Amino acid sequence: MDPDVQESAETQQSGSALVTAVSCHDIFDLSACQTDSSPLAKGAAFSFINAVQAVNQRLVKHNANEMLRFEVILLGKDCEEQIKSKIFDSAKHYGLKIGKFYFCSRGEFVRTLQANNAKLFLSTDRDDVYGALKAGVPAALLCQQADQQVQEQLKVLFSGDLIGLSEDVIDGLKDFGFSAVQIQNFKAAKGCIQEFAALIGEMRKRFGCKDSPLQTILITVLGSRDVCATALKTLRGWGLDVDEAFCLAGAPRNPILTTIQPHILWDDGLHNMKGVLPLMDMSS
Amino acid sequence: MSDIKRGEAPAVRAGEESGAEKDWAAAKAFYDSLKTKKPRPPKPSTAVTIAVSSRTLFDMVEERRVWEQEGLERYVSYQQEHEEEPLKPGAAFPFVKALMTVNSRLRTLYPDSEELFDIVLMTNNHAQVGVRLINSINHYDLLIERFCMTGGKSPIDYLKAYLTNLYLSKDSDKVQEAIEAGIAAAIMFTPDMETVLSETQLRVAFDGDAVLFSDESEIIVKQHGLDTFFAHERQNENKPLAQGPLKCFLEALGKLQKKFYAKNERLNCPIRTYLVTARSAASSGARVLKTLRSWGLEIDEALFLAGAPKGPLLQKIRPHIFFDDQMFHIQGAKELGTIAAHVPYGIGQKYDKGKLIEQPAKRS
Repeated sequence: MDPDVQESAETQQSGSALVTAVSCHDIFDLSACQTDSSPLAKGAAFSFINAVQAVNQRLVKHNANEMLRFEVILLGKDCEEQIKSKIFDSAKHYGLKIGKFYFCSRGEFVRTLQANNAKLFLSTDRDDVYGALKAGVPAALLCQQADQQVQEQLKVLFSGDLIGLSEDVIDGLKDFGFSAVQIQNFKAAKGCIQEFAALIGEMRKRFGCKDSPLQTILITVLGSRDVCATALKTLRGWGLDVDEAFCLAGAPRNPILTTIQPHILWDDGLHNMKGVLPLMDMSS
Repeated sequence: MSDIKRGEAPAVRAGEESGAEKDWAAAKAFYDSLKTKKPRPPKPSTAVTIAVSSRTLFDMVEERRVWEQEGLERYVSYQQEHEEEPLKPGAAFPFVKALMTVNSRLRTLYPDSEELFDIVLMTNNHAQVGVRLINSINHYDLLIERFCMTGGKSPIDYLKAYLTNLYLSKDSDKVQEAIEAGIAAAIMFTPDMETVLSETQLRVAFDGDAVLFSDESEIIVKQHGLDTFFAHERQNENKPLAQGPLKCFLEALGKLQKKFYAKNERLNCPIRTYLVTARSAASSGARVLKTLRSWGLEIDEALFLAGAPKGPLLQKIRPHIFFDDQMFHIQGAKELGTIAAHVPYGIGQKYDKGKLIEQPAKRS
């Protein structure tokens, strides 16, 4: 059964747009839904949409015919009929420039992403993110902002020890208790983020060093400085010159993440070595 | 959390702490598996963390000129063009090498301990400039595994996140901010001539008032003169002075020194500390020594100059770093080849060579 598709008047040309699929549950608070006509409350990651729209506005300011823009599509899993129209109306109410709305069942959402050539899927739900990554769909965590104030910059963070490790070293990770399936997942995750990195990199180049509405950041958690240096150069080779880089070499990650406050966190999953791995939980 | 760190740790719940311990165990295991000869960086919560900026670690005078005259974009391209050329050593370079020497002695005596120096590169630089910085660190084989390249953002929150014990920079605004946030910090100056420094012993020299101690007595000198100061100090000899911004760093050094004493290495200790103060031993020195004693701190050599210039004495000591709050002393030290670091704290900032500056000095 095909998922419901509703298109708004805001549909943009897809072409070379950065199609970004976001879960409805993150943009709107669907828990406290009233039956009246008031719009839905803002969700945990609502400020992300504002930041993305600010980037698009700046892109168009530089070049009115800019093709490389964020095209946000909303994904709703298992939504009741009344919720669907509320979502549609709330998006309009807040002035969100959202091109397409997809409503599907939980089991179909990965296929829906693949069918729509989503360059990136974002969710605050880790299981959703890893489910997409396993299926080869580029996905990243949508982070809840500490406070919902308008952040000036859209911050995209790559937690990328894997990017700085060679194929041989990744294979050698089986000595850490990772199964062959997980090693495959690591390689798949690394492979499928390359396209997104290249697109973000190209978008970033539209702006100068200072006063950019988009900021790209690399963090390596476990590797030595050379792992971080290799990751920097690899990303550069893919077309992304990151603005900020942090090499933790075993230092705790959370204090740094709290300071950076990214919107998008692409996590290679490698640092989750303590035993309980989201990847491990997703038996195929 | 070890007591080497200031008690400013964010509240950690029991669950988080055991999670953090597991994370650390995993990080250790990962590093050990790499089978590299390089020693593993220590656990941040028990290490003495020293954050150095790129301009203090390396000589970036030429590069800075490009930034000032040709702008940021050109500066970043310039650095990328010269990426494979290692930068020359900067003012903090000898200090970093000395820290590495202490670490290797500590590792020999205590192979499993995480109480070591942890050197972090903390720079405002763009990450693309960072490649040249890492290449330079590789070239000199420096013991720096952790870094923050903030791409223009203030490093203060990162200093806190990294549990920094000491921050060295050339930027007075950032150092000021760090001190106000309770982190020991100083602005480094490159000496006018080169001095041969010890390669086996880290030597750190501190001024007393407004560096190790608060500026309470300094205020009396500036506002009421020396006679009032002497009388006040004698009267209050047994009342400990309040602590200054570098006291915790001296304390951290002391903890590491004790580890050598415990292994019978007092005579061969690779850390030596000096107090170099304008106070005179006879009239105002006792209070200083009693304060240190009340804090449980030792200083290896206390030198009371009774107002004589510090430069010549420092030339004899040859410290890897000398901390003072007054630019007058920093200048004097620098002229005679001492690596001096200015601590912009207290009433001394409002004076220049004993005269009150009419307006607050513009910070560059």
